[in-house]
Amino acid sequence: MTEMVKKNASDLDTKFRYEISEKVGAKSLLKCIQCGVCSSGCTVTEYVDMQPHRVVASCLLGLRDEVLSSQAIWTCSLCHRCTERCPKNVDYSFILALLRNMAVKEGTVPKEYSSTVVTIYNNGFVVPYTGGLKDNIDRRRNKMGLPQIVPPDLEEIRFIIEETGLGELAKNKEDK
Amino acid sequence: MEKSYAFFPGCNIPLKSPHLEKAFRDVAGILGLKLTEMEGVSCCPEPVSLQSLNMDTWVALGARNLAIAEKMGLDILTICSGCFETLKTVSVLLEEDEEYLKKINVILKKINYTYSGKVKVYHFVEIFSQPEWLDKIKSSIVRPLDDMNIAVHYGCHLIRPSKIMQFDHPEKPEKIDIIIQNLGAKTVEFANKLECCGFCARLQDEIGEKLVEDKMTELCELEEEVDSLIAVCPACTTQYDRKEKIAARKTGKTLDIPVLYLAEMMAIALGVKLEDLSLMNRAVKPNKLIEKLTT
Repeated sequence: MTEMVKKNASDLDTKFRYEISEKVGAKSLLKCIQCGVCSSGCTVTEYVDMQPHRVVASCLLGLRDEVLSSQAIWTCSLCHRCTERCPKNVDYSFILALLRNMAVKEGTVPKEYSSTVVTIYNNGFVVPYTGGLKDNIDRRRNKMGLPQIVPPDLEEIRFIIEETGLGELAKNKEDK
Repeated sequence: MEKSYAFFPGCNIPLKSPHLEKAFRDVAGILGLKLTEMEGVSCCPEPVSLQSLNMDTWVALGARNLAIAEKMGLDILTICSGCFETLKTVSVLLEEDEEYLKKINVILKKINYTYSGKVKVYHFVEIFSQPEWLDKIKSSIVRPLDDMNIAVHYGCHLIRPSKIMQFDHPEKPEKIDIIIQNLGAKTVEFANKLECCGFCARLQDEIGEKLVEDKMTELCELEEEVDSLIAVCPACTTQYDRKEKIAARKTGKTLDIPVLYLAEMMAIALGVKLEDLSLMNRAVKPNKLIEKLTT
């Protein structure tokens, strides 16, 4: 499981906890009492290198790099049981999503996640809907008597993705 | 009951599993649920990835879809738990946080949309579990399911976090059970009922395989024979169906419970012809179930 981290106090990022808690919906981070309820009910608790309560403790301690480079923050299935059961109302699953946002900004993002935005950027949907694939889908729907799909204006979808800061991620992968 | 909803089927159902949409539309037609088609909507967007990559992208794309419903003057009806999570969460966030709504509207205005934060979002289970709809369901039954034992899967995103989803009791939900019971079937209780399907734990396939194996093994070992596992989300439905087959092959266990989408089971009870439903369109074939329904 978790390996012991040895660090000098001067190497801790003591502002890290506030960098997280000042974000919308993340203030609850500071209320954690380390009871471990989140980890005991966690769907992926056997599979992570750092259990939920340890992730929170590491955020509070200022172990910025350890948290943002952990496999744990990406293994979570966002089942939200931690958030549901926390006696101090720490919104762990939401905070975890914010930690992922921070990791993405630093360039760490598994392709299982980044590929979704590439597909949406190219199709407006999370399922490819162009060319021959589109024809097949339309034919199948037609046979079932289902209405024609009226897709979104891709320019609008791309604008939102670019304007909110994911344009590079969506386009970079497009070229590969 | 006369109310119409802006119908948001999402991506996975209409593009990958249109037979589930067909079953739902058949049910809506029989019961008289009015649906208005939405034009130009995008992916909800997919909650797990988009929320993880960038909260603002997730919320802004979701708000664009909500704005389309708002322009239609209608609330949204979803038939996928992922769409429900995204659209409901975004609607609640923007309703409660005026500053954030303003920030999102700055982006939306540049593409000629505005959202005022008024749209309500429903999953179809919420509608059909209301007393007046249950009455309507009961009086429309053609083939009662009183010879069936059904296991219900709620999934995560429908019920949690309850402070946002406001769907049902987060540890003891009953809305899907109630619908199934009104179709005449018995719903079974089992230890793994509220476990996650694992679809969204996408970095490690073995997580989903283990979760599905555990649930299906428990269901196969129950005293009463389970005729079907029912889910209300395309991801959960596909996950259990495919991974059950894989688990059976890997472990040598007899795991053969067919997985159906709730609207499919409702369509069966409401008299939609079996040949109009694509019941064989899955990895674990519902042979026994079809035999029961045709003899």
